[in-house]
Amino acid sequence: MGIFTFTSGPAAAYGMPGRNAAELVLEKINAQGGIGGVKVKPIYVDEGQGTDGVVAEFRRLAADTNNQAMIAALSSGNCLALAPVAEQLKMPTFMWNCDTHQLFLKDKYQYVYRTNSSTVPEFIASVLYLLSVNPNVKTAAIINPDYAFGRDAGLIFKETLKALKPDVEIVAELYPKLGSPSFNTEISRLSAAQPDVIFSNLWGADLENFVRQAAPRQLFSRGKVILALGESVLQRVGTLLPEGVIVGVIGDGWWKSPHAQANALTRDFVESYRKRYNEYPVFPSFKMANTLYAVKAIYEKALATNKDRWPTREDLIAAAGNLKTETLTGTLELRPDHDGLVDQIVGVTVKDPAYPFPIMGQMVRYPARAVTPPAGIDPIAWIAKLKPDVLATLPKPGSYK
Amino acid sequence: MLSAYIPLVVDGLADAALIFFVAVGLTLVFSVMRILNVAHGSFYALGAYASVVIGIWLTGRGGPILGLAALVVSPILIAVLLGPLIERTLLRWTYGRPEALQILVTFGLFLILEDAQKLLFGVQPYSNAAPMQIFGISQIGGIVYLNYQLLLIAMAIGVAIGLRLMLKHTRIGKLIVAVVADQEVAQTLGIDSSRVFILAFSLGVFLAALGGALASPTVGVAPGLGSETIVLAFAVAAIGGLGQIEGAALAAILVGLTRSAAIYFAPEFQPVAPYLVMLAVLLVRPYGLFGSVGLRRI
Repeated sequence: MGIFTFTSGPAAAYGMPGRNAAELVLEKINAQGGIGGVKVKPIYVDEGQGTDGVVAEFRRLAADTNNQAMIAALSSGNCLALAPVAEQLKMPTFMWNCDTHQLFLKDKYQYVYRTNSSTVPEFIASVLYLLSVNPNVKTAAIINPDYAFGRDAGLIFKETLKALKPDVEIVAELYPKLGSPSFNTEISRLSAAQPDVIFSNLWGADLENFVRQAAPRQLFSRGKVILALGESVLQRVGTLLPEGVIVGVIGDGWWKSPHAQANALTRDFVESYRKRYNEYPVFPSFKMANTLYAVKAIYEKALATNKDRWPTREDLIAAAGNLKTETLTGTLELRPDHDGLVDQIVGVTVKDPAYPFPIMGQMVRYPARAVTPPAGIDPIAWIAKLKPDVLATLPKPGSYK
Repeated sequence: MLSAYIPLVVDGLADAALIFFVAVGLTLVFSVMRILNVAHGSFYALGAYASVVIGIWLTGRGGPILGLAALVVSPILIAVLLGPLIERTLLRWTYGRPEALQILVTFGLFLILEDAQKLLFGVQPYSNAAPMQIFGISQIGGIVYLNYQLLLIAMAIGVAIGLRLMLKHTRIGKLIVAVVADQEVAQTLGIDSSRVFILAFSLGVFLAALGGALASPTVGVAPGLGSETIVLAFAVAAIGGLGQIEGAALAAILVGLTRSAAIYFAPEFQPVAPYLVMLAVLLVRPYGLFGSVGLRRI
């Protein structure tokens, strides 16, 4: 298996928890005899080398006939570059992170699946949560990284607000460069705009920097802040955050969620992760772990269909169709358009004496189907058709206990 | 109405201060040794890493006030350890050779130092925010600033004045100026130019590492910091005129203010702001604000 993630550069703050999870999960799978008696050998590729290098590595690994599946990639940019290559090489590829809703928007792929949700459900969930806890919001500001993921999230945030609460005014829209070491001027600008709510999908080292710089300057105590990928940095900067910051896990990967707590395999994963890496797994760890367990399920399905003959790449892709499988944190369903259906968990920071950092409380779990546009429909047009009364039909913050 | 612009100016100057430390070191080394040191950004990153690691160690032993010492100790350490070593082994060999070769050698050094950082510190971001919290906060124009940010502006002004005084009024400064003016004549007068080179290069390393160390409490220190910094430092040095201390200061202020103005009024231009300033200046003055053809000054 080729496994692609960032192990260098500022994105490694998000990529390494994915790689750590892959190591643990594959060790566990191999200790139990592998998949159908075959041990899995991971080959890790660093996405920090740039897209050209990533594509070249992908081609090199795909040329090895022993290589059965690719788990690629973290960066949406790399995913968009790899998908056509995977298709051309007929290489079963499972996108473990890859949030961009543009992946399956225009192109149809036979060999590419996304084992996670996409930007649309992920950021709609943030707005739904915001309007449930703060229905009187009048002004909002956005600070997202300046590339497709940040721009898309900004658009989805604005379009969802426009559909559900059209009178909200966007008073500042900032897109600092990805990998900026300092956000101090942006923080002043946000303070000056005095919005009721600040939305951000900053992630990795950028998010850590932003929180470190913004918290002492009291940005988090002036209004509501939504950190859509906030859970991934709580353990590193959480002591700086006050209670009540809306944080998401973009998906359902939260190690203390009721689903995770009820699953013995998850509890074991969390415990061994904490023992080896000296911290709790964050949601990128679960995106990776859930993908690997889904790929294992696909192999087992193919083996059963094949009456235990080892599946070819074609057998594997055939088995992935319409898969519905239990993951460490819930259920993953692969739609006929190859996109994943995953629930969305959102919560707020709460202090818990058992942990030296705030954890997620007042959680809600939005069902995947309620927040994901149906296959084949332009997602932005779908958002525009959302009605404010949709909130009444959805579970409330605090209902996921 | 005017008061609305005060935060913009404060942000711009705080930004300029950090750019200045690294650009002035780059420009000083170029002025004395005629070398465009691509590895200069790595010294900034190393200063930041060293300051975080030593800072956390010192804070653990004597509290955050002692941790502050790391901000000065680490750049001195980096300069003393790496300055003479790199000048003696690597750079000395390139003097008088084609510029392309000098750039290749310093680029190679940059790559080695980047990998060395990964080897030593891994890829996760480091941070030590204690120093910026010691000094508390102030309100300017209704916006909360860390006093540490204001202190940085004062430090940059101090370094600019200190450098100028050193070059004008100290023995070593006068030796540097003499070597810059004419190395051969300086040597015939008995000035040991190779010692001046070591000192000037180490001073450049110190200034870059000082910039990194002072930035470290407010920025996350992660791989990539060096390359981010060197690109900006080159832009600032080019705007100011290569080898010009006052030029670097003015260019840093211009770039800092333009970046913050962009964030306030046209955020989409923020990433390209330094290069727009560079374009505008170089179109009118191809040798930079303070630069001139053929004349070697400092």
